[in-house]
Amino acid sequence: MATRTALTGMLFAGALVVATVPVDPATAHGTAATDLQDLINAAVPGDVLTLTPGTYAGGVTVDKPLSLVGEGWPVIDGHGEGSVITVTAPDVTIEGLVIANSGNRLDREHSGITSDLSPRLRIIGNRFENVLFGMFLRHAHDAEIVGNEIGGKDLFIARRGDGIRIWQSTDVLVEGNDVANGRDSVFWFADGATVRNNHVEDGRYGLHFMYSHGAVVEGNVLERNSVGAFLMYSTDLTMTGNVFRSNRGPSGYGLGLKDVDGLTVSGNRFVENRVGLYVDNSPSKVDLYHRIESNVFAFNDIGALLGSTVARNVFTGNAFIDNVTQVASDSTGNLLDNEWSHEGVGNHWSDFAGYDADGDGIGDIAYEIDNLFMDLIGRYPEMAFFTGTPAARAVDMASQTFPSLRPEPILTDDSPLIRIPTLPMSPLAVESASRALLFLVSLGLLGAASAVMAGGRFRLSDPLGGGGAS
Amino acid sequence: MTATTQPFALPRTFEPRPVVVIARKVIREASRDRWFWLNCAGFAVLAGAITLTAVPDHNLIGSGGFGRTAASLVALVQLVVPLMALTLGARYLSGERDSGTLVFLLCHPVSRTEVLVGTYIGLAGSMFASVATGFGAAGVFSALRSASADPVLLVRLAMLSWLLSLAMLGLGLVIGSIARNASTGLGMALFAWLAVVFLGDLGVMGTVVATHMPVEALFAAVIVNPVEAFRLASVVALDGSLDALGPVGTYAFDRFGDGMAYIALGVMAAWTAGAVAAAVFTFRIGDRI
Amino acid sequence: MIRVEHLTKAYRRNTVVDDLSFSVEGGESVALWGPNGAGKTTVIRCLLGLVGYTGRIEVGGLDARVHPKATRGLIGYVPQELGFYGDLTIAETLALSGDLRGLPRSRIGEVLGAVALEAEAGKRVCELSGGMRQRLGMAVALLPDPPVLLLDEPTSSLDVGSRRRMVSLLDSLRGPGRVLVITSHRVEEVGMLVDRVLALDSGRLAHECPPGELTGRLNLESWLHVVLPEAQTADALVHLWASGFDAHENGHGVLVGVATGDKLSALNCLSEGDFDIRDFEVWR
Repeated sequence: MATRTALTGMLFAGALVVATVPVDPATAHGTAATDLQDLINAAVPGDVLTLTPGTYAGGVTVDKPLSLVGEGWPVIDGHGEGSVITVTAPDVTIEGLVIANSGNRLDREHSGITSDLSPRLRIIGNRFENVLFGMFLRHAHDAEIVGNEIGGKDLFIARRGDGIRIWQSTDVLVEGNDVANGRDSVFWFADGATVRNNHVEDGRYGLHFMYSHGAVVEGNVLERNSVGAFLMYSTDLTMTGNVFRSNRGPSGYGLGLKDVDGLTVSGNRFVENRVGLYVDNSPSKVDLYHRIESNVFAFNDIGALLGSTVARNVFTGNAFIDNVTQVASDSTGNLLDNEWSHEGVGNHWSDFAGYDADGDGIGDIAYEIDNLFMDLIGRYPEMAFFTGTPAARAVDMASQTFPSLRPEPILTDDSPLIRIPTLPMSPLAVESASRALLFLVSLGLLGAASAVMAGGRFRLSDPLGGGGAS
Repeated sequence: MTATTQPFALPRTFEPRPVVVIARKVIREASRDRWFWLNCAGFAVLAGAITLTAVPDHNLIGSGGFGRTAASLVALVQLVVPLMALTLGARYLSGERDSGTLVFLLCHPVSRTEVLVGTYIGLAGSMFASVATGFGAAGVFSALRSASADPVLLVRLAMLSWLLSLAMLGLGLVIGSIARNASTGLGMALFAWLAVVFLGDLGVMGTVVATHMPVEALFAAVIVNPVEAFRLASVVALDGSLDALGPVGTYAFDRFGDGMAYIALGVMAAWTAGAVAAAVFTFRIGDRI
Repeated sequence: MIRVEHLTKAYRRNTVVDDLSFSVEGGESVALWGPNGAGKTTVIRCLLGLVGYTGRIEVGGLDARVHPKATRGLIGYVPQELGFYGDLTIAETLALSGDLRGLPRSRIGEVLGAVALEAEAGKRVCELSGGMRQRLGMAVALLPDPPVLLLDEPTSSLDVGSRRRMVSLLDSLRGPGRVLVITSHRVEEVGMLVDRVLALDSGRLAHECPPGELTGRLNLESWLHVVLPEAQTADALVHLWASGFDAHENGHGVLVGVATGDKLSALNCLSEGDFDIRDFEVWR
């Protein structure tokens, strides 16, 4: 295979070529290769273009099977116009590049990498900086997107593009990417996708699946997005071992499901979301059951929110820990058409007030959610404004004291787990950087308190000293 | 000893010196008051307990948790701080009257306004010490338990709690200046506490059920309550929005955006100013000493 | 030094001071005399501007209503019921008072000497005896070396020894340029201290005379101090009042006002009531 090495450092804004060192016969006929596009044009299919550090003009089109491999992070700079790299051929590899400064036009989908009819496209270990879309791949079956860092433009969220957008592409692998400040990461008509160990933060939809069947989504961390992941109109999905954390958009969820049929949700952690899991019309087929098993729902405003007509979800072996509302229905109905324990294994509820006299780890009485305040919210959604107030708690206490006020339970778990089940989960990173600062600030508060109190100990104790008034 | 008539410059009605002297005296009194320290310790213990129980398993759940801890702290503050501040304000002034020390102060060349303002400042200082102790203790527990909390958030919540206590202290002083004696004052303070913490919200809830009032009216009816203003300001500080609070929260945040926090602060400030002014007024016109 | 014109003070419908006018010149000492409820304390409170009133009060040429702070700056006041912060020491109490007036701390030592409390300066107020509290009250009043001293029943709660010391202290305070206004319902105690007695009755000025004349006018010449068991004192007072005597609790018994030549009637009254008279003496 011929290798062309373009030791071409083209400085910003068309500066002079610094060096051109042909190290390979293949470049001998080329004179001063000042332009990446020229290099691509000059290459033959199967060539590997190794780019050395420097800045290359973007806006290039790769129209033949080539590998662009950067060494020492060469920069492909789109100068804020159009897409930086456009791929229109199969078997292209783009690796080790900094892909920067795409255009800003959402309607033109200006991207770091855009592709069409590009099966087996491999995008490996690149850094995307200040791009509107990170990558927008069409008809890129069997593409591999691995180990990239994608940073979007600092725009209002609706003006941003998607970090990753896959369109009409089957069996795509998306693994180990870090996506920040994008809008969404979208999979449209992308059957058989594997999305693994990615980290998506500070976007709108961390992951968004539309009409994408048979996807496996595992080990991803989706945090501080408006919605962690939203799965719509898709079938046969597997969600395992993901972390949905602090996704708190106005109508935000950790994981949202709409018209999904055939789903396993297990071993995920939903922490500090507005709503941990939202289920709307899933499963939609009457002969299907979804298992939601061995997940942790902790510290969410609402652990799980289900549409009142939702049925056939089987919740078993999950831990619901200190959610403000553990489980709620989105209107006045109950959730009894779902199963809250399965074959004698229910879920752990941190607010379970029952007991386990026989010590088998299963509560001897059922866990029920029959919260009057939540019932009121179901009838009068404005009431949600009072969530967490002492008055709301008083309403609940009143309904516990006077059974006539108690609403019908929205769910019953006949076999509540006394202890948090042992879940096969890896430890989550503990941010300890601010601990020292927190400690100091807290000591500062205590110090300020003592300083104020010391202000009261004015020198009355040695009044005979004859000084002036204090 | 011979009496002499000194050349005498007429003092102004409001001077800082006696205010400062009285404020320091009040802080000194508070620092010796068993109830005050009981309040302080109770608040610190509850705040500490919240931080200690909030994060059961780091490995499972990760560092987070402080958002939730903070939400529990807000709920605690809503209950405890108004109770502390109202009873402190009401008890202090009527207690001074009962013990005759109010006469001791007022027979000096100080005005009633100075006595009241000095008392208010002193009590405000005491409340600051109490709130800062509570949040400081919670923060220290948090740090020792390796629950990473945002120190900025901690300080913001502490300051918001203090602001709430300023409004409640003002109300307490109004009660103290009109109450016949300390036990009447305490009773009135407890009723005021019930009113701002429970009855106001329950009343609005009842109205919602009865009339389906529009969101604007509901929001207005709730935000005028200083305890609710504190809560909404805290939620904005914690979440950056009010979206967790349903359609009314969404309405309020869409309508006012970041101004929401200022509205809430404004409500607390207005209550504080209004209550202190009312306390000065009732204390000045009152013949009781 | 003090000029009171048409002073009227009513609580609700209850008129406590009714169109009272009097004046006190510099260097003069006067007693406001009258039974309990005559309005003495209210007059004092009006002078201090502690309560609202109608009429006009001038102290040192200043309208007390317009310049209440300045007026209080001229006045040292010893209330009948002394309210102090119990956990402050004597010295701290004086320091607080001095700070409120903006006085130098050196004054504290001077007044402590004047009321003979130097040794107790570090004692907390809540540990003091009644006599010491009264002297602390005097010290607070004397701290600014005021031209006007208002003393509300300065001797009423004292035992015999303390009273004697208080009276001599008050006597030593009389002097040119200082006005003493002493309220009392027992003129015999303040008679020797004042130049003039203003007798109040139901908030009105009943008469105004030198102290010597008052006893005559009231046909009271003597006071009979009757020593009784402590348990009987209260009943004895009720019994005496029921028989028309002016009687007060005092030390180890009761003090009864008796008309000239009729001292025995009080004793008869008590013995008829089966009270156990242990001793008696006649005070003038």
